[in-house]
Amino acid sequence: MRALALIRHYCSVAICCARLTIQEQLEYPFLAICWFFIIPIEYLTSVGLLKVIINTFNNLEGWSFPQLTFAYSLALLSRGVVDVFFIQLLYLGDMVLYGELDRMMLRPLSVFFQFTAQNINFIGLVNMIPAIVIFLYSCKEVSFLWTAANIAKIILTVIGGVLIRISFFMIIGTVCFWTKSNNQGVELGIKLLERSTMYPLSIYPFFIQFILTFILPLGFICFYPSCEFLNKNDGFVIPLGLSIWTPAIGVLLFYIAQRFLKYGLKHYESTGS
Amino acid sequence: MKAQAREVILMPLIEAENLVKVFKVAKRKQGLTGAVINLFHPEYMIIRAVDGISFTIDKGEIVGFIGPNGAGKSTTIKMMCGILNPTSGWVKINGLSPQKNRKAVVSKLGVVFGQRTQLYWDLRLGESFELAKRIYKVDNEVYNMNLKAMDDILKIGELIDIPVRQLSLGQRMRGELAMAMIHSPSVLFLDEPSIGLDAEAKYAVREFIKSINEKMGTTVILTTHDLNEVEQLCRRLIVLNKGRIIEDASLSVITDKIISRRILIIDLDEDVNDIDHPAAQVVKKEGLRVWMQFQRSKITAAQLVSDLSRKLKIRDISIQEPDIEEVIREVYKGTAQ
Repeated sequence: MRALALIRHYCSVAICCARLTIQEQLEYPFLAICWFFIIPIEYLTSVGLLKVIINTFNNLEGWSFPQLTFAYSLALLSRGVVDVFFIQLLYLGDMVLYGELDRMMLRPLSVFFQFTAQNINFIGLVNMIPAIVIFLYSCKEVSFLWTAANIAKIILTVIGGVLIRISFFMIIGTVCFWTKSNNQGVELGIKLLERSTMYPLSIYPFFIQFILTFILPLGFICFYPSCEFLNKNDGFVIPLGLSIWTPAIGVLLFYIAQRFLKYGLKHYESTGS
Repeated sequence: MKAQAREVILMPLIEAENLVKVFKVAKRKQGLTGAVINLFHPEYMIIRAVDGISFTIDKGEIVGFIGPNGAGKSTTIKMMCGILNPTSGWVKINGLSPQKNRKAVVSKLGVVFGQRTQLYWDLRLGESFELAKRIYKVDNEVYNMNLKAMDDILKIGELIDIPVRQLSLGQRMRGELAMAMIHSPSVLFLDEPSIGLDAEAKYAVREFIKSINEKMGTTVILTTHDLNEVEQLCRRLIVLNKGRIIEDASLSVITDKIISRRILIIDLDEDVNDIDHPAAQVVKKEGLRVWMQFQRSKITAAQLVSDLSRKLKIRDISIQEPDIEEVIREVYKGTAQ
């Protein structure tokens, strides 16, 4: 009964926040329109780039155009979810530096909930459409089997990908407490995510493959799951079904990122800025 | 059962015991060489922003925290409302630690930081109130009652449909104060609420504090540099300097303790040269008006006037009390030594 009341309370706040965010975004309609066009163009040009590469080289380390598109669209799906719910993570460093988290601590709600709820990016929802279209197109091209098991695996992969992405930005944001500048770190992070999800990991030297597998496991966002779905033996050979690793690593990384963030906040507090 | 009930009544609303907050601040060396050295061998200074303070505050009090910049006022407030963790010592509000029971404690607190906004910048003021209503689970009846009360005190009705970004600083502060009262908090923390406001807006803030304290029994903790505000609002002052409490008493007690000298101003009928008195000194003379300083511990004003009137023709007298600015300056100086 108490849990139910709690859920109702959080829902009512989340709905109110969502309404206010839409109203806020409507205050700047031009900006909304810009995003509405820019993101789909970005997605489509990236796929176009893959096409050009394949036309030039025939294939990329044994990956055909539909296979590359499949892997990339898998990454776009998790990116879409992150853009809708967690886009403000990009400004985590700045928010802490400007005391936004202080404000959240003064309210009788979970800070993480407030952080997520205060900015639901509805424009991002529209951007999910090109991601889904590209994904469905590539599924057809690689003759993806729509079995229940495969659908469940896709969902788990997307959830895992989301967790890896948000953990990654939480870690970057936390590092910013020390460096005191948020923007360069975040920009670097966005580029790294884009580069490591657009091309198969196997085109990179061993050293970078190793980092993207075991240290910053961005390879699990789409490369390793795609290897499994497409029956490829590429990159590091990892036991068990590869798509199972993505959510597992996502949860683990999220746990580490949260601990790291807490540690960072504590350190930040003790510098008294 | 009875004993327990009594205990609850006697328990102070806010208790702080030996609160300490230590910050580690990086020291920067001068010039390019210094910058390189900082990179590889950073040096830190330990700053005790709050250095072992204890106090209790009862329900219904208005307490002013004053002190120079960097005295530890804001740090103390932030520890009281759960934003900062004390390095050592503890603070309790209504018997609960704001660090351990953050949600329970903050649901009864209202907080306004003069330099930071709680409002949705792009939306009409009323939307922010709506959100607060949901966050604090305020039911419609109480919400409307509080809005009505805030309209009486702060004239919030005329602002409620204006986007926050178009409000003047003074209007926005009225909005912030009203927002902080939506959930009828039992304690209201105001960190420099009148910073940057004009006289009229400052007056509105002052009237607001007075009336919520009287009508709703809200306990108010206030930090400010505006000593007029302190003088008119606070029955009790906690003076901080360098992280320590140097005075905790009512304004009149502090005034008496710090400055016992008074100035007697006399208007004479005719110019005289011999106006000396063994227990008082002439500090200024302008035409027929004379300023004489005396120590209250040595002579009373009445005695001084009666002594002087024996040899002088006095037309009028008045006594100048030290103003609060002077008191505070003395207090700060006292600890600097």
